[in-house]
Amino acid sequence: MLALWAVSLVSTPARAARDLLQLFVSQPYLELHTGPGRGYPVTQVVARGESVDVLFRRTDWFKVRTERGVEGWASARELTLTTMADGVQFHVNEGDRAGFASHRWESGVFAGAYAGATLIAAYSALSVTDNLKIEVGVSQFTGNVSDGYLADIGLAHVIMPEWRFSPLVDIGTGFLRVQPKATLVKPVDRNDEIGYVGIGARYYLTRRFFVRGDFRKYVVFTKTNANEVNEEWRLGFAFFY
Amino acid sequence: METRIRLLLLSIAVAACSGCASMHWPWHHPKSDAASASASTEDVDAAPPSVIEPQVERRKIKVPKIRAKNVELGAYYGELSIQDFGAQPVAGLRFDYHISEDLFAEVTYGRAKGGRTSFEELSGRVQLLSDAERRFTYYNLSLGYNFLPGEVFVGRNLAMTSALYMIGGIGNVTFAGSHNFAVNFGAGFRVLPTDWLALHIDVQDLVFKSNDIGVYQLKNNLQATIGATVFF
Repeated sequence: MLALWAVSLVSTPARAARDLLQLFVSQPYLELHTGPGRGYPVTQVVARGESVDVLFRRTDWFKVRTERGVEGWASARELTLTTMADGVQFHVNEGDRAGFASHRWESGVFAGAYAGATLIAAYSALSVTDNLKIEVGVSQFTGNVSDGYLADIGLAHVIMPEWRFSPLVDIGTGFLRVQPKATLVKPVDRNDEIGYVGIGARYYLTRRFFVRGDFRKYVVFTKTNANEVNEEWRLGFAFFY
Repeated sequence: METRIRLLLLSIAVAACSGCASMHWPWHHPKSDAASASASTEDVDAAPPSVIEPQVERRKIKVPKIRAKNVELGAYYGELSIQDFGAQPVAGLRFDYHISEDLFAEVTYGRAKGGRTSFEELSGRVQLLSDAERRFTYYNLSLGYNFLPGEVFVGRNLAMTSALYMIGGIGNVTFAGSHNFAVNFGAGFRVLPTDWLALHIDVQDLVFKSNDIGVYQLKNNLQATIGATVFF
């Protein structure tokens, strides 16, 4: 029994090693750097036919362990020249134009202006189809007379998702909270429902990233007789996953 | 040779099976003549059945997933010099996402408490702000650039990867009872004693326009912190 336990203890690291991806060097050699960056010196090379276990990834660099137990960093570009155990070439998914056209989730941050106040916003979107997305966003704006928050949910229609520069239209609803600056006479916070329509565009940059810009018109359903109409523009970075 | 034997055995098996089906076993009740007649005509029209169905089950190879450790999560502590309100301790949380070896995105949230202005100190009992209004909270959305990556050597046997980075972004500062759009910029140094732990030294300036003393002023709030983060 004790012997069995001892054997299981010994075999654990071996089993753990098998949970790691094993890659076989099929190019003349694989260079291992001392750190995850192009400038770090190469102190080890792995010869053709030998294998490495991939421990984890940081950006475009992979920490690997050789058969001799030496650890080092290999670049994604070099690792795509290696093969997996079944002989298939190793592939690193870094995002591409196809992913930009068709993906499940996207998120981003913006800076802009809402009714003349400076705006910071963040959003996430779930793709129902490549064209249609459900979007949820939060924004904070700070102006000279009032500050506030916006929370919205809506639908966005990307007109040509496969184009690098793809326009979109969106429509939605949400809540607005306005906090007048304390220096004003009657600082009463206000909560109102809002509705919006907007147009925008997305431009694919590289890998998983794109730029997005929006122009929206908000209707604030105030508790007074007249509704307010406010304009918003925003520009920011987003990524898909 | 082996395949020939297999083929031979297989054809024998197929022949035996079809032979068995055609035999009239005592427990087998034949269907009515009309039904069997129509079935037989259908059989003639239908395509001839294939003798051997290729049922090759592909071996499923599970490719182990590679863990991506691009996210840093941690906290920092230091000193924040709030313009007009003295240098005060500041503490915060930080979240970093490493986009590439050069670029990273950062979200920070910090809080401090403003002290007393020189005017308040000299005049004695005057209070410009209430206790709640002295609370200084901020968040920043920043982009960082590792412009001097390198290694740090401790003694003869220990080398740690490091980077000197520049960082800048936008955010919001809540102070003196109002929210203010803020711009932050600075530089920092990151060193990784292990693959999962990073230590930071940061100096940043939080700049915003405020009218907390009646006139709009550009406020510079310098912050120096040390922190630790864990890579996920």
